[in-house]
Amino acid sequence: MPVYFEDLKVGDGFDTPGRTITEADVVSYAALSGDHEPLDFTAEAAGLPPVVPDLMVMAITSGLGFRAPAETPQILAFMVFDLHMHLPVRVGDTIRCRIRVAGMRPMKDGGVVVERRQMVNQRGDVVQEAEYKLLVARRPRE
Amino acid sequence: MSEPSRQYFEDIEVGDEYLSPGRTVTETDIVAFAGLSGDYNVLHTDAEFMKSSIFGERIAHGLLGLAISSGLGTRAMARPYATLAFLGLRWRFKGPIKIGDTIKVRMKVTAKRETSKPDRGIVTVQRHVLNQRGEVVQEGDTELMIERRK
Repeated sequence: MPVYFEDLKVGDGFDTPGRTITEADVVSYAALSGDHEPLDFTAEAAGLPPVVPDLMVMAITSGLGFRAPAETPQILAFMVFDLHMHLPVRVGDTIRCRIRVAGMRPMKDGGVVVERRQMVNQRGDVVQEAEYKLLVARRPRE
Repeated sequence: MSEPSRQYFEDIEVGDEYLSPGRTVTETDIVAFAGLSGDYNVLHTDAEFMKSSIFGERIAHGLLGLAISSGLGTRAMARPYATLAFLGLRWRFKGPIKIGDTIKVRMKVTAKRETSKPDRGIVTVQRHVLNQRGEVVQEGDTELMIERRK
């Protein structure tokens, strides 16, 4: 059963499975984005695994958002987001995402759903927080 | 040690502007990004379904446009910023990026502020992602923590 705007309410949500971020992910992301700029020059010297690009963490958690226990809403468009970085993510970290509906606003062709997303590492630290505004389809009339 | 190849907080002025080269977004980019992110939403992966959508075809993931624009941004500057951290961004998706569209990024420094620590400062860079018709398809503000000269 597809999930439409009418099926959602504030407070709905789920925690995604985790995904371990590998060096292969980082290399693929650098090749695809063309952004080869390392953000942290001190990691190697300190014997720490490399820092993962912040936008790649967000990209991977956007995919995790579809690995829900039930069907995900029928998204028509991703409109706006706000993203705040709190802690670095390093190769080998396992990231999951807590997703909750924080607000809803009906519109003509659907509705805007505000989602609060917390990206969490294997130690339970919130590494990034985002607010997504998504345009979700209304249930089609019979 | 300050490096001559980098721009430090003191070197950056409000009003500084940069324009990147263009990059054509291909079907391969979209397929690769679906694989990397795990976002296989029909908007990006189902050509038949998208024929009957308002877009008429598959569109790039919004976050793929952002990823490509971040790479283009590094090619817009002869001397990269001495960035210590990427603090956050507020981003707006204004229009679709379709297969074959060519995007470039225009950046402008809109604010600079000092912090309580003397070795760094915060710079706000406004970014516009433009397509081949000059339409703004994505825009937003990024906050960067930049090192000061030593």
